[in-house]
Amino acid sequence: MAGEPNQRPVTDPVDVVGYTLTSSLGAGVECMRDSLRANRGGLSNSSWPNCDVQCHLGRMPLPETSDRFPQLDGGRLSRNNTSIAWALQQDDFTTLVSSAVTRCGAARVGLVMGTSTSSIDRTEDAYTALGEDGRFGQAHQQPLTHNPHAPGDFVASELGLLGPRVTISAACASSAKVFATAQRWLNQGLVDACVVGGADSLCLSVIYGFHSLQLVAADACRPFDADRSGISLGEAAGFALLERAAGETQELKLLGAGESCDAYHMSSAHPDGLGARLSMQRALEAAGLGMENIDYINLHGTGTRANDSTEGKVCAELMSAKTLASATKSWTGHTLGAAGIVEAILCLDSLKTGFVPGTRNTQSVEDNFPLLLESVEANISTALSNSFGFGGNNCTLVFGKS
Amino acid sequence: MKAGIAGVGVWARGVEGVAKFEQSQLNDFESMCESSFVNPKPECVPPKERRRAGLMINLAVEVAHQACDDAAIDKTQIPSVFVSALGDTAITDYMCRKLAQPEKLLSPTKFHNSVHNAPSGYWTISAENRAPSSFVGGFRESFGAGLLEAVSQAHAFATPVLLVAYDIANSAPFEDIEPVSESVGIGLVVTNGESVGAHGPQTGAQGRQNTVLFDVDFEAQIENDGGREQVISQPLSEPLRDFACANPVGAGFALLEQITAKRSGADLEQIPLLNELRLAAAPAAMLRISF
Repeated sequence: MAGEPNQRPVTDPVDVVGYTLTSSLGAGVECMRDSLRANRGGLSNSSWPNCDVQCHLGRMPLPETSDRFPQLDGGRLSRNNTSIAWALQQDDFTTLVSSAVTRCGAARVGLVMGTSTSSIDRTEDAYTALGEDGRFGQAHQQPLTHNPHAPGDFVASELGLLGPRVTISAACASSAKVFATAQRWLNQGLVDACVVGGADSLCLSVIYGFHSLQLVAADACRPFDADRSGISLGEAAGFALLERAAGETQELKLLGAGESCDAYHMSSAHPDGLGARLSMQRALEAAGLGMENIDYINLHGTGTRANDSTEGKVCAELMSAKTLASATKSWTGHTLGAAGIVEAILCLDSLKTGFVPGTRNTQSVEDNFPLLLESVEANISTALSNSFGFGGNNCTLVFGKS
Repeated sequence: MKAGIAGVGVWARGVEGVAKFEQSQLNDFESMCESSFVNPKPECVPPKERRRAGLMINLAVEVAHQACDDAAIDKTQIPSVFVSALGDTAITDYMCRKLAQPEKLLSPTKFHNSVHNAPSGYWTISAENRAPSSFVGGFRESFGAGLLEAVSQAHAFATPVLLVAYDIANSAPFEDIEPVSESVGIGLVVTNGESVGAHGPQTGAQGRQNTVLFDVDFEAQIENDGGREQVISQPLSEPLRDFACANPVGAGFALLEQITAKRSGADLEQIPLLNELRLAAAPAAMLRISF
């Protein structure tokens, strides 16, 4: 479906060697596919401990047995790290990484992790049992867990990676930006392979935080719907292995990434979508493609009135008539720091399988924005994913298949 | 990779700005021992916003503007990398205390300031900057990890990149996680080793060299597999060395001291100019900086 590129790419594409995703749609990519094809969404009206905010959540059905994750005993225990440990057990992803480590050497394999919550769930827990001296109890004395780099440090240790290792935290753009950093590192020869990931967990901070901004919908979110009323929160952990492109051996590629800031407001997007537009333009430029070359757009589409209206305006103006566009947060919930990689993997899997998810729950679209409501089979060759976050931080990714 | 530093900003007890740092350097950093901490008030942030922002955000935004001013660079175009070991522990403390109460009433402003890229948000708004901006966490090795990312971006974007490193002083319970006894902010305009050219003068008004060039190499110490050995070059001068140990991003003082000494051109007896620095960039991994 994609036409000829209209300009030379400014970054070299990198291979997407493999990926795995665990979310409210299930553990591993097969479960995700089954849920999408069976029209089984991840959001439910489930309760959350110590929480009385009326909302729908995209919960990960974490295994109850703690003996399944013995690596969490050494001061690493948190909901976020548990979800990472569980996600890393899916899709033979660790085997894939091990083979890259064997081939390249551990010091030549990097890690770029994205998160917004990190293990704040564990810090919240620690504060419910603060000592009279204001200190954490013994079980919560976990330096490697109560800090923004906790997921990166844990994943690097789990996978035995000794290359550069960082955790990017840019709110809801976090785990989209991991692809941009990894592509630079690979292009520059800083690493020969790079694991990228994203993990965020449901916790009181995000539920009550978004509630304080009056952005949480009581029912399941309906992105771009004329009657939309806010977001539904979710949680997920996903990973991909990227390597420098080696000809046509790998089918899926990251073609380019674009990053920008709104420079407008901490929690409201620029009303004209200035940052969103820049982010999309920079990604297309990096990929050497025009908007007319994009077959599918996975929209940021959170379900809030302001964000969807801004993104809709920019996309309607830029996208061509044949482009499919859907918002998938009504399937998974808004997984915040994990949303970038969740939607990157949905794009990659659509490229691979030819199944494009529609916009669950949405019935009547505002302003006739050409939104894909029902899932379709479509042989797409290029996909673009938008992630926009607090602080006015934006990232757009362009993927393709050879 | 080739790299350079074209501008610096700094804020700590007794060294509020690079001019004070350079002055203090001539006097064995005595001002750092004798002074009290002054809260930074970045002029480009409106007073009402400054009050909402809190110490950590103001500290980061202040040194970000300072570094760009020092490099005489266009603030609207420069990409930025923000790094911190613990993030805003004052806000984390606020959020977790509120959430431990039955009502769980959070201030919406505090919530949106709780994202780790909040300083990046305030910086980009105050500088009207729409370039890429990130927060990079590397816990105790945050400074080296952030420097590597800034150098990598400077090459990829072929433009200088702003690196802003900061942690604020803490008490219980966070002092048990990582003790921080001095609030420190360091801003650096990092280049890809090319002349900053159109982005600012390479040579300052007094004819001194403003851009200090070096090579950066990431080196994993595979023999220390699994260990968390700290590989940090400590600053040569006391009490700067004490400040470096009092804050996880204090490792940046080792680089800052060399940059200001080298570009002053003065023969500072107490600060020998080094040919090499080693900064921790991850557990059991370092950045080798060769001048």
